[in-house]
Amino acid sequence: MAGAHGPSSDAADDEVTPETASTILPTESPTLVWVGLGAGLLAFEVGALATFLVAILSDTLAAASLPGVGFVEGIEAAARQLPTLLSRETVPNEGYWNGQRWVGTFLGLRPEVAWGIRVALVYLYALAVAGWAVLGYRLYRREYRAADWTPRDDVIDRFRNHGWGLFGLAVVFMFVVMAVFAPALGPTTVDKNMRNSYDNELTYWDAETDSVETILVGEANLASQSRGDGEERVGPMEYDDFGRFHPFGTLPTGRDLFTFIAVGSRISLVIGLLSVGLSVGVATSLALIGAYYKGRVDLGMVLVSDGVMAMPQLLLLIMLTTVLKDTWVAGLYSGAFLLALIFAFTGWTYMWRSLRGPALQVSERQWIDAAKSFGQRPRTIMRQHMLPYITGYLLIYGSMTLGGAIIAIAGLSFLGLGVSPPTPEWGRAVNLGQEYVDTGSWHISLIPGLLITLVVTGFNALGDGIRDAIDPRSDAAGSDADDGAAAGRGGGA
Amino acid sequence: MSDEPLLSVRDLEVVFHTERERIHAVDGVTFEIREGQTVGLVGESGSGKSVTARSILGLVDEPGRIEGGEILYRGEDLTEDNWADHRGDIAIVFQDPTNSLNPVYTIGNQIEEALRIHQDLRGRAATDRAIELLEDVGIPDAPRRVDEYPHQLSGGMAQRAVIAMALACDPDLLVCDEPTTALDVTIQAQILDLLAELQAEQDLAILFITHDMGVIEDATDWVNVIYAGEVVERAPTEALFDHPAHPYTRALLESIPGRTDPDERLPTIEGEVPTPTGPATDCRFAPRCPEAFEDCRSVAPEHVSLDGDRSAACLLHDPARSDGGERQ
Repeated sequence: MAGAHGPSSDAADDEVTPETASTILPTESPTLVWVGLGAGLLAFEVGALATFLVAILSDTLAAASLPGVGFVEGIEAAARQLPTLLSRETVPNEGYWNGQRWVGTFLGLRPEVAWGIRVALVYLYALAVAGWAVLGYRLYRREYRAADWTPRDDVIDRFRNHGWGLFGLAVVFMFVVMAVFAPALGPTTVDKNMRNSYDNELTYWDAETDSVETILVGEANLASQSRGDGEERVGPMEYDDFGRFHPFGTLPTGRDLFTFIAVGSRISLVIGLLSVGLSVGVATSLALIGAYYKGRVDLGMVLVSDGVMAMPQLLLLIMLTTVLKDTWVAGLYSGAFLLALIFAFTGWTYMWRSLRGPALQVSERQWIDAAKSFGQRPRTIMRQHMLPYITGYLLIYGSMTLGGAIIAIAGLSFLGLGVSPPTPEWGRAVNLGQEYVDTGSWHISLIPGLLITLVVTGFNALGDGIRDAIDPRSDAAGSDADDGAAAGRGGGA
Repeated sequence: MSDEPLLSVRDLEVVFHTERERIHAVDGVTFEIREGQTVGLVGESGSGKSVTARSILGLVDEPGRIEGGEILYRGEDLTEDNWADHRGDIAIVFQDPTNSLNPVYTIGNQIEEALRIHQDLRGRAATDRAIELLEDVGIPDAPRRVDEYPHQLSGGMAQRAVIAMALACDPDLLVCDEPTTALDVTIQAQILDLLAELQAEQDLAILFITHDMGVIEDATDWVNVIYAGEVVERAPTEALFDHPAHPYTRALLESIPGRTDPDERLPTIEGEVPTPTGPATDCRFAPRCPEAFEDCRSVAPEHVSLDGDRSAACLLHDPARSDGGERQ
């Protein structure tokens, strides 16, 4: 985006008014162009977006057993008709070899190439969206914001020079894109490959009989298991006997590991975001209220949070997942919602502890008294005059706690708790591959394990980066980095 | 002047509860302000000036509490939780302008916040009024400044903006808590002039809280000298400077540079303000008082009326205690 304030505006400097000369888009109405670009980008994915939104609505209705399910299902069917350019239907990778060429794949390419193209397109699209957002921010900064400079600009500049933070941002970006576009990224789908594998058929080239045959996916999976060495495995970047490409190899059940991981990333992210979002909400409100009213209110909160902290988190998780097993809460999103609730209930205390100090500090500032003196409502004072000063801390701790939540979810699935099978979860993949780590099927545990480590490191790195960026005393270039550790290290789960 | 004072503080007691002791930060402060009058409250650091100011606005935070006395605004006692009804009638200007403006909002935003609450102005009308207010407090180029952030203003300009913010509430009483202390001397004079001007134009009453006797002499009509949570002397400004009645006032006046012979060492008051932890049983200034005598250590002095309206809480003026009678 750096080159966006392009040559034409420089060249036309003499004629144009100062406002247009300063735009970052070489046009008279940069906002319109920006909105147009956004609409264009959205058009690629409008079908997927509509399907997703309607699906959430119908899930909620079904879970709460409200009327109107039939109606929403109608909309869902309609939403599926909307075009989605980045879908697996547009760039298919599933096909078969008919003796001369590949049938059913994108442009008749080999499945791995077709899949690679789709993944590349998805990531390019995501980058384009990110670029569009950056462009929008720059546009706002140049055109709409009254001030030439605000302290936030420095924060962004410091972050841009923070290598470790940028690494974290990149990892988190890759992870989020994987989660958002999970159905389009996998070489196959959860429904076809796992949930209903015996209801779906597969066409393949049988080398022994030299003919095109069909087989149930479930049966094909049985013949593609990774349970040892040599013939007993389908490793990363290999084809199985049925012409199916497996970027990360197969699970011991013969299912596709990449699909499993892509969809698993979605559930990790959803639980992570939901639990961190809830705990951030609770922690922020309590921190602000406690800092505003002080005294007994604050003391009460200390007692409550100490009480919650004293509960053993793991035991509570095991107990609640068992007790609530057959309730409707546990049914929401394969139990992910319940997990998020429990994480939020136990997690807000740590977040609140970290926010309490900064909130108390802000509450002593004189502009709070000034606002009180002219009769501003307490809630408005908390929101307008205190909240902006702890959002930085929220980002830091939120980012770090998210990493912690992802590890915790994976850990629970590894133990066989939490998200119920067959919904994919990274920790379960690690668990499934345990027995085979010392064989040729090492990939089953290793790949998800490495990914968990990478993603959690990424979230922590992002948190570190944000913290250093927010602290004006820290020098992102690193000349006196130890001076700026004021905002407090750690804070993860 | 009308009969009823605009604000009357009577026997105000503010106590801070700490784990070990109860600190009587304000211990029986009594004074009043009439409409359009400028009243000074002068004393050293720790004497309870600021706590008094905060009490008037209902801003005393935990662990402090108003435990006695009344604050009558037009005859209505604010300490019975009536602050909400008079928000905006009393406005405050704090010491450090850069700290009383929220750095994340523009000047205009913050003035408009007050305008929205007190004058129900929004949008364009609020911005226009904010610009007017900024012009009233002498900020040049107000239409541009209204969109600037606090860090873009100098200290003096920021204090003007803070005053504009206070005026946005359309107050009858402006409490200025050391409004010039954080500013350099030339700017101080400008702000004092501005306040005098505003007072004349808008018939504002001003409570001026400071430790600076020079500022008191310039700006106020009437002075209350506060020491260790008590008002020890109250008098019209001129009379106080001409004939200080309380030894503490005398000591304060002597320690102003320029009032003594330039060749002499500037006198200081030895020791520091005590922290009152219980009801007064003696004169709290006695340990530092050059004129203290026997009774000063065993009797808490009451206010004694002197000529005019003035009074002083000193045994030197109590005919029953002191043989000195009225010394001036």
